[in-house]
Amino acid sequence: MRSLYRHLLYLYPAPYRSEYGEEMLIVFSEVRADAAQRGQIAHSVFLVREARGLLLSALRERIRSVIGPQFAAPLLPPSFSSRRFAMTDSFRFPKATAVLMALILGGVLLAIQKAEAIHASLPQDDPTVGPIHPVHSIFVPGIMLLFLYFHAAGLIGWAVLFALRRAGVHRLSQMPSTESK
Amino acid sequence: MQTLPLTEPVLLILLSLAERPSHGYAILKDVAEMSSGRVNLSTGTLYAALRRMLEEGWIQRFEEEETGSRGRQAYRLTPAGRRNLQLEVSRMKHLTHLASLRVARKEV
Repeated sequence: MRSLYRHLLYLYPAPYRSEYGEEMLIVFSEVRADAAQRGQIAHSVFLVREARGLLLSALRERIRSVIGPQFAAPLLPPSFSSRRFAMTDSFRFPKATAVLMALILGGVLLAIQKAEAIHASLPQDDPTVGPIHPVHSIFVPGIMLLFLYFHAAGLIGWAVLFALRRAGVHRLSQMPSTESK
Repeated sequence: MQTLPLTEPVLLILLSLAERPSHGYAILKDVAEMSSGRVNLSTGTLYAALRRMLEEGWIQRFEEEETGSRGRQAYRLTPAGRRNLQLEVSRMKHLTHLASLRVARKEV
């Protein structure tokens, strides 16, 4: 597990990793030993929390390293902000998550409607049709497709951020304004 | 720089360091203890917060003398960090006082 965590640290930008990587690994090992002593459930909860925390903070650090902290702050939700620690009275859930949840809910509702329509269109008294069974065979390919979709979306986002970085957007704030001349 | 109010994890981290310098593992344990197990920070979240506070000059990082190993770094509050913590505590006291008054007035 320690080895896996060490590998996952490569999700962080290299400067961040060299600064905090070893320290994070030590703390992870210590907290994991504690969690393991509290039982299997506590250990599992700990691993999920660590994975979530690592992925989110690595994502934030990557974005920050690409576009710079002065641009990352307004783009990221408050809990991600590098310039403020403020607790706002606004919705604190990341907006992207809310959009994703709405899309998933929409997909589920559509699937239910579709299933009801299929069920209604079938002849109820035809014994050759029989009951409708769930098709388990599409589950794994579906998950793979979703994974590929989100992977592609992530790559596109990364490419946009990389293009912004290459365009020198992060240096705009360092340019002298015309008023100061 | 507008810095208040603080998020609960940041407030708890600052409170943990207010009494004495501490290292990452001890901070995590202290935060969980102070919040009665409600706030359990992951290692990634803790170090992201520590890095931000280091950048803002609220805390300082130093090597613990007793271990001397490279990975065993500790953190302490700076005067700026303590000042911000005191401001936040004052703000919360004011809010608590105000809330008590309002609730009492409602009950009468």
